[in-house]
Amino acid sequence: MKLKMTLLAASLIVSMTGAAKAEDPSKLNDLEIAHVAYVADVIDIRYAHLALAISSNPDIHEFAKTMIRDHEAVNEQALALLGKLNAQPQDNFLSQSLQKGAEELITEMSQLRGDAFDKRYAENELAYHKAVNNLVENAFIPNIENAEVKSLFEAGLEIFKAHEGHAEMMVKKVN
Amino acid sequence: MHRRRFLQTSVAALAATGSSSALHAATKAPTHHDITIYRFKFVPDTLDVRVGDTITWQNKDIAPHTATANDDSWTTDELGKRQSQTLTVTAGMSGDYYCVYHPHMKAKLTIAS
Repeated sequence: MKLKMTLLAASLIVSMTGAAKAEDPSKLNDLEIAHVAYVADVIDIRYAHLALAISSNPDIHEFAKTMIRDHEAVNEQALALLGKLNAQPQDNFLSQSLQKGAEELITEMSQLRGDAFDKRYAENELAYHKAVNNLVENAFIPNIENAEVKSLFEAGLEIFKAHEGHAEMMVKKVN
Repeated sequence: MHRRRFLQTSVAALAATGSSSALHAATKAPTHHDITIYRFKFVPDTLDVRVGDTITWQNKDIAPHTATANDDSWTTDELGKRQSQTLTVTAGMSGDYYCVYHPHMKAKLTIAS
């Protein structure tokens, strides 16, 4: 079951990003996992800034501000922990794949306006958080070796699950 | 005559009882309450309080939160990780409250009469 969920999460990420070849996220080391998480946070912050720039829907604005506030808080904790451990996150296939997918999606969403943008943004937030949460819960947390890094990911997962629930509410509101 | 005396006695007794209760309520020391914000929940999520009591909300999550009345009549500031804020209970604080950043986080204060 865990393997199935891991593969599901990986395939979601890969399909989101359009990568041709799937590699195994569960084989990443702690520093690569930290890099993926940091990139995933930054991507969602970029989506949120795009929403603030394009959308005129107050609910979308509040949601986007929450995404910025929370993801910045998580990244601040992650950087503090890496500093304490005197470690540098390591770039890897999954970070690159996420970034590529994000660039494509930002280009697409930048062309949308009004309700079309709001729906695309909300639906992507839901899909994105579902995919990342599956990845974090089933591929990353079971394989993280450092206890403090694992604890940070567990706390982060609580936040991102809350975001997933919030995104579900947003999708209902804009549809 | 008897009826008047009875009424006078009853009113005096009632007044005395009322005064006693009022005095008791007025002299009862305010109580302090702690509410922890953890894993996107207010703990406890329901709390019985009295006007004059104090409540401290402490955030143990990484994500910032608030405790804000549903009708926006009162709120804490933004509480970052490990931050806390204490408010003194006023009569208008009875009712539901939530986190403005995470609207699914809900809780309730009930003010004893």
